[in-house]
Amino acid sequence: MKKTMLRRATALGVIAAMTASQSAFVFADEENASGDKITLTFAFDEGVGTPTEEAIKAFNESQDKIEVQSYHLPQDANNLHDDFVNKMVSEDTSIDVMALDVVYVAEFASAGWIEALDDLYTEDELSAYLDGTVEGAKYDGKLYAAPWFTNASALFYRTDVLEDLGITEVPTTYQGWIDVYEKLGEDSGIDYAFCYQGAQSEAMVCNWVEFLASFGASVLDEDGNPTCNTQEAIDATQLMHDYIGTYAPEGTTTYAETESQQVFQEGKALTCRTWSGTWNTFNDAEQSEVAGKVGMTMLPVYNEGDTAHSCLGGLDLAVNTYIDDEHKEAAKTFIKWLSSEEEEKAFCLSSSQPPTVKAVYSDADVLEQIPFYTDFYSIIETGKGRPSTPDYSLLSDAIQRNVHAALTGETPVEDALNALQEEAEGLQ
Amino acid sequence: MKTKKMKSQVKEARTAWAMLAPALVVLGVIQAYPILRTFWLSFHEMNLKRPQTGFPWIGLENYAKILSDSRAGEDIMFTLKFTIATVALELIIGFAAALIMNRAFKGRGLVRAAILVPWAIPTSVSAMMWKFIYNDQYGMFNDILYRLGIIDGYKAWLSTRSGSFMAMVITDVWKTAPYMALLLLAGLQVIDEGLYEAAKIDGANVFQRFFKITLPIVKPSLLVALLFRTLDAFRVFDLVSVLTGGANGTESIAMYAYKQLMTFLNFGYGSALAILIFIIVFGISLIYMCFLKKDLTAE
Repeated sequence: MKKTMLRRATALGVIAAMTASQSAFVFADEENASGDKITLTFAFDEGVGTPTEEAIKAFNESQDKIEVQSYHLPQDANNLHDDFVNKMVSEDTSIDVMALDVVYVAEFASAGWIEALDDLYTEDELSAYLDGTVEGAKYDGKLYAAPWFTNASALFYRTDVLEDLGITEVPTTYQGWIDVYEKLGEDSGIDYAFCYQGAQSEAMVCNWVEFLASFGASVLDEDGNPTCNTQEAIDATQLMHDYIGTYAPEGTTTYAETESQQVFQEGKALTCRTWSGTWNTFNDAEQSEVAGKVGMTMLPVYNEGDTAHSCLGGLDLAVNTYIDDEHKEAAKTFIKWLSSEEEEKAFCLSSSQPPTVKAVYSDADVLEQIPFYTDFYSIIETGKGRPSTPDYSLLSDAIQRNVHAALTGETPVEDALNALQEEAEGLQ
Repeated sequence: MKTKKMKSQVKEARTAWAMLAPALVVLGVIQAYPILRTFWLSFHEMNLKRPQTGFPWIGLENYAKILSDSRAGEDIMFTLKFTIATVALELIIGFAAALIMNRAFKGRGLVRAAILVPWAIPTSVSAMMWKFIYNDQYGMFNDILYRLGIIDGYKAWLSTRSGSFMAMVITDVWKTAPYMALLLLAGLQVIDEGLYEAAKIDGANVFQRFFKITLPIVKPSLLVALLFRTLDAFRVFDLVSVLTGGANGTESIAMYAYKQLMTFLNFGYGSALAILIFIIVFGISLIYMCFLKKDLTAE
């Protein structure tokens, strides 16, 4: 009895070994099938899945030396970050090119996980890109990634409400919007003047950076020293706190993008601060009750005449440093192609993601499809990145905890910002 | 005769080891290695963002750092509070549900299946669902309380400390009380009906019957159920991550360890925190095991 069982086990083992070696043959075949072509794997998030697939297909057809394969990841900046970190820690070479969120370029560069790309563009070529996006792709003065597409926030508002009230000039200050809100009748259905994102999340960090910028404050000064508790920063945070429960929903401190957009889509808010790409959702009659009544403008400022600065996001293209030289050269060819004016235009048309090449914004085909780009260009031009530091994830976490405590009223604003300043100084 | 028997025993033992070997190898690779590696890392300064400084051995420094890290202390306190609150409620509700399901009534099979639905839903999905339920604009939680006249306007439950804690406990109890009920039901089913009848004849009332018959017999299953739930509750991560993201003092220690490891890339300190969770969980298991052993040997 036992003998037969042992025999069976051995037989199973043999079969398993045979299957394994067979699949090894299959793998070998696949390697050979690509012939002399270099195979690259490009990892990007599902949020831009379809348009990126189209771009990859176009690249593969445009030449016969490099074959790019796609590697899809879920649409969530933190997920993406953690997946890339996992791979880089184990010096994985299964992916060659990464679509990396702009805020992580400094971190990956300082960890030595991505290639410096100094020689990718000439000075002339680089000047075609938006300054903010090039700065964001640099670490220690060197370029580590190619700016692929960017993202900026804007203030969406109800054009129908302004029309009904006979207001022709779109307000530029918070007070201006509050004045419009106060004029509304009971039956307008509008409960709030503003909605923005205050949940303990990266979205809140972006909102806070914008509030600071509109008061002329910033998280770090030009030398990278924290300036989180200046009087301007305190005033800005106080304002962000005071609107919650008065002119903005009480639940603002639990809102990320989706929740706040929902309030606006249901017609309950006069304005909504969110990413420019939401334009399509807001104007889609199936999802939005305010479709066709939505306008887009600069974020408000506190004092008349000040400049608003939208928070820049987007993805950069970076090259895995652990792959061999042959693959690195191929990867550089691919990302240079993908970030060229022509391809950025094509990608912009298929994905509605704002390009990093300035000229695309004035392209006739693009303007025909996305008319608001005429106004949007000035928003993106004055946009500011989040602080560029290899310790960004630590700084962001400190901002999230302390500023959120200030917004919920758990900690007085000044105390919260003092605590934040101390934590930020500890990171130096 | 004797030697022949011994020989066959040796042979049997060998075969047994041979059969177990694959399982042991798998356990070694997926359990022992990661645990030992984490233990090893916890004695190092290992910040992946600063590879140029190397990853030197620093002994117990990471553990000393935990003692002075007020955030770790707050997170442990929250996790303990959460564990006690949820396990206690789950025990009461789960026990009640098990007693009901143990009764013979029409449609019992259906009730047993239905009660397990919350347990079958992945935590992150049910947390997402409850996040909608607690929403301040269209949440069902607000709607029900408003209709009942308990609140006079919709509230943002997840925006305050007490609200977030309450929301998290309700969500966890909703999801895992059925699991507790199922384990307790298995314990209840071994009780002989005759015991109750005999007790009734002797004049024992319903409380005496519960405390003298039901509870002692069900105790081993109860301890196992409590052990499982305590360990799970102490390692809570997904619920926190989805529902509040750790806001309003609801960051669990597991979430902090994850942040140190994957977000801050601080593998040394993060590993020390992970080992701390391991030690606490191990300690809790030991206490339960002592009770269980005492219980089993007493019989």
